[in-house]
Amino acid sequence: MSVAAQSLSTDPARTRDARWTSALNALFAVLIVAATAEIVIDASAGHTGVVPKQPATAGWLSGLGVLLNYQIFLVALLAATAGYVGLLVLSRRGRWARMSPRSTIGLILVLHAIVFVGPILISTDVFSYIAYARMGVEHGINPYLHGPSVISRDPVFAYVGHDWRRVATAYGPIYTLLSYPLAPLGVVGALWGMKVMALLASLGTLALTWWCARRRGFDPAIATLAVGANPLYVIYGLGGAHNDLIMMLLMMLAVALSIREPHTSGREAGAGAAIVVGALVKATVAALLPFMILSRRRLAPVLGAVGALAVGALVGWAAFGVQGINVVAALNRDAAFVSTDSFATEIAHLFGKPGVFPVDHILLKAGLVLIVLHLMWRTWRGYDWVAASGWALLAISVTSTWLLAWYILWPLPLAVVSRDRRLLVATLAVQGLFIAHQMSPLLVPVR
Amino acid sequence: MSSLPSEHGGSGLLSRLPGPLRPRTSEDPGTGQMRLIETTLLVIVGLVLLIATVNDLSRQASANHRLQADLTTWRAYTGHDYPNIESDQELFGATSQKEVVCGNTTPGAPKSRTQICLAVWGPVVDGKRTVHGGWYLPANAEDERSLRYGCFGEEEVQELCAR
Repeated sequence: MSVAAQSLSTDPARTRDARWTSALNALFAVLIVAATAEIVIDASAGHTGVVPKQPATAGWLSGLGVLLNYQIFLVALLAATAGYVGLLVLSRRGRWARMSPRSTIGLILVLHAIVFVGPILISTDVFSYIAYARMGVEHGINPYLHGPSVISRDPVFAYVGHDWRRVATAYGPIYTLLSYPLAPLGVVGALWGMKVMALLASLGTLALTWWCARRRGFDPAIATLAVGANPLYVIYGLGGAHNDLIMMLLMMLAVALSIREPHTSGREAGAGAAIVVGALVKATVAALLPFMILSRRRLAPVLGAVGALAVGALVGWAAFGVQGINVVAALNRDAAFVSTDSFATEIAHLFGKPGVFPVDHILLKAGLVLIVLHLMWRTWRGYDWVAASGWALLAISVTSTWLLAWYILWPLPLAVVSRDRRLLVATLAVQGLFIAHQMSPLLVPVR
Repeated sequence: MSSLPSEHGGSGLLSRLPGPLRPRTSEDPGTGQMRLIETTLLVIVGLVLLIATVNDLSRQASANHRLQADLTTWRAYTGHDYPNIESDQELFGATSQKEVVCGNTTPGAPKSRTQICLAVWGPVVDGKRTVHGGWYLPANAEDERSLRYGCFGEEEVQELCAR
């Protein structure tokens, strides 16, 4: 018997507490699973404001639930969030109060399985991914030059979000090429392919999070729980089969290679290359590179990054022309968008303005630059580069005028393995505010 | 934040930099002043975001409440219990809390019949607000000034009509 177990068995109060926390852990886990299952089962009943129009991929579930309206969705999201917060709070009480690693992995796998078998949730983005792939493979059209409206007779077109029908892809050439093999599978086949990619990317991200947390002296089960049972991660990220999960996989691969000892040139070059490959999936992850380089202060990560960039740019240019590698243009275009959920819009409303003005974009960019410069200086002076990268990603999402739920997932895997615990608190607080902002339909029912 | 003993990580040229500029492999624990400043700023930013979120939530809830009252008002005024009624919050200004609610005058697909638009504002009383005037629109038309006709009600509303 271990020392901890002996002390538990000899202290009746602690034994009673342990029983209570064990029951509470089970209750919270069941709450998350039930809430997620409720969303998935009701979403299978058909298209609503929360469930995008899509081909039937979860028909066998469709008779079990009712149409998922905003109210049911929000109540289930709140329930899942309450269960998640409950698990995290209990995990801070000590080793005896935490879920066991086996239960944690089981919970995460169950959540992934539920969401995987269900329909696409919340977002039409995955149909844009498929449309861009079909444009290139089935129609011979460069997705960096045109939006899906040029393939309006293609079966996927009906599922692409109205706002994105005339918009060329903003994703990196590596991601676009990665999606091409799915195009000939038809819309349903490609959709399953996208779901499999998202599932594998998520599981890979979680496995690397576990590994990195252990290497850095944190409890890997808690770190992985904080990411893998996070309602925004599961319902919005995985539920929408977002390619952000692939970007996050490469991001965590870079962190793992960078922190693995001994620090060989090969690993450091690989870390730099992983960030660049991630940026060629979705550009945001490039924010990690300056912090890694400033922290390592060796040539290897720079060479790895430059090498990957050269190969990636060559591949992108060969496949899509100069537009395929013009990431800056795509970022500038997206930076001009404004969403009602962005903090910038909320602050504009707070000051009595109807929304964000062009001058606000400039102020936000200036603020972001100052934050990044401060973080770079701190990294130069020994601050944890993983934490600095997480802060940068959090700052990007908070200052963005186009904020979506899956954007505030970016810093989460970094936060749970960073040496600055404030980052995790701040990331979860921002996520909490985002969830709270969704709740207005619950305050007054709208017919 | 790491509290490991300070180490200078510079070599060659970097090691010749003055102390405060020299790179480090781990942070100097120092007095914790930087951490205090950062935490204070984070708390301030967090509070601003919290206040902005609560303000927006209350603003949206109030708008939902108003819009629901507007739909009830339109249905009570016209005597039609149609589901497809559109509300425009921008015409009188986004912050005016004055809305224009339009719907068909006879059963049919949205906008497929002659439409009646009502200008509604004021407090919600018994789930409804006051109609201050309105106008008609031809079938299959958007609410544009040149297409409005048969305006009625207060001068502020009639000024929005072309004829």
